[in-house]
Amino acid sequence: MRDKRSNPFCMIVAVLIMLFLVAPLVVIVIASFTPTALITFPPKGFSLEWYGNIFSKSNNFVSGLLNSLKIGLGATVLDIFIGVTAALSICRYDFKGKNILLNYFTSPMYVPSVCFAFVLLQVYSQVGRVPGWARIFIGHFIIILPYIVRNTVSVLHVFNWTLEDAATSLGANPVQVFFKVTIPLAKPGILAGALLAFLYSFDEVALSSLLSTPRFVTLPIRIMNYMEMSFDPTLAAISTLLILCSLILMLLMEKFVGLDMFMR
Amino acid sequence: MERKRSAVLLALPAALSLLIFFVCPMVFIFLKTIAENGLSDFVDFFTDPFYLDILWTTFRVSLVSTLVSLILGYPTAYYMARTKSRLKNVMMIIILFPFLVSAVVRSYGWMVILGKNGLLNQLLQGIGLIKEPLEILNTETAVIIGMIHLLIPYMIMSLIGVLQSIDPNVEYAAQSLGASPLETFVKVVFPLSLPGIISGCVLVFTMSMTSYVTPKLLGGSKFRMMATMVVQEINVNFDWGAASAISYILMAAILVCQALIVFGSAGYMKRMGGGKNA
Repeated sequence: MRDKRSNPFCMIVAVLIMLFLVAPLVVIVIASFTPTALITFPPKGFSLEWYGNIFSKSNNFVSGLLNSLKIGLGATVLDIFIGVTAALSICRYDFKGKNILLNYFTSPMYVPSVCFAFVLLQVYSQVGRVPGWARIFIGHFIIILPYIVRNTVSVLHVFNWTLEDAATSLGANPVQVFFKVTIPLAKPGILAGALLAFLYSFDEVALSSLLSTPRFVTLPIRIMNYMEMSFDPTLAAISTLLILCSLILMLLMEKFVGLDMFMR
Repeated sequence: MERKRSAVLLALPAALSLLIFFVCPMVFIFLKTIAENGLSDFVDFFTDPFYLDILWTTFRVSLVSTLVSLILGYPTAYYMARTKSRLKNVMMIIILFPFLVSAVVRSYGWMVILGKNGLLNQLLQGIGLIKEPLEILNTETAVIIGMIHLLIPYMIMSLIGVLQSIDPNVEYAAQSLGASPLETFVKVVFPLSLPGIISGCVLVFTMSMTSYVTPKLLGGSKFRMMATMVVQEINVNFDWGAASAISYILMAAILVCQALIVFGSAGYMKRMGGGKNA
């Protein structure tokens, strides 16, 4: 930029925003090693006590984590199947109403999850006796579908369909074409969509807080319940572990599909 | 014809799942609510200042969060779109990283910073700037700070895409023709980046209208927004009629606001002559 006045100004704002974005995360990580129940800065010493506390039975963090993983992974895997086929039907064939169909597939995105959760709650009370995991699973299964459809469509949108014809003319059968040509080329979009969908489910609170039963509670709800009882650094410890997992996931994503997949 | 059949077959699983678990419940419950309670809950909502105040609070917090995100996000996105320094990759990671960290964790971070015995108060009292701790947590300010933290990455992402597609030579051309930096911004960069501004604003505004975790954790029990009120009516007051009125009004409010932003800006862009590219 030749414009010498706007450049430093933009840079200063950008740096300040970056500090603003990382500040709470850094604070959490430091706080998790505080030896005292009250979080002070700088910490008076170093302790791993709170990390041990995560695994104590009474807190139920571990069972919450397992529940969250079951719901998140289950819903994501199922949605990959129906979401990728749905995206294929839209992108591969030319027909009237393609856009309407795409909007239909992504429509759960436009409904606040609290409102959808309340509707499901009323349906469950009519049906009666829906098991705890299924109450949450159905909700998550629906609200994360748009992420997979949208990300897959964004890749298939620029997909060169003649590659499929080429494979066929070279003797591949439709199943081979699908698994050896179409899926590998669409993989970055599918992976990015699946990751976003899984994370949405893993972090989801509004829907889970309305639909969870005392016997089936997901991790974010466990953390929020713990906050209401106590505010000790156990929360910082478990948050640090979650931040660490996110960091690892992100580095893996950068390695395998590139971060620009998230910018679509 | 065979192609048409495979298209239908491929679309069927997703289409049916959505129909059974999403569309049918939404329509069925809406009709049932109207049939059983009529419109009395909606009338209650719009005649009770308590509820109207919640709607106004929700709207106000969302508007402020959106505007601040835009004002602070724009220079950030502009810098990131134009810079060639290695800082850009680090910034990209910092912006994307919060996408992957739960809103509960991020709100918790702000609770540690803004609380009565929090980091900020310790710091300010330590250097003797204040005597009594500031009450920030459990106020609207805390909610807005948390909301901006949550949503500014979405705004920046929307803006970067558009700003990167503006050729810097257009700006040089404007300046070599005698435009001041401010004029260049107002007459060239800003109009060209309008599509990104609009999509960013719609996204951030909608997300803050419907957000639940941030107002619940940073606003405390006395601070109410539409989404937290729905849950409170169900779990605390056991008033399902009021809860459904609030949730349908929230859905309608979002649709109306989105339509206003999109159509309003379409009119503006037509005047600017940028309608075709937008």
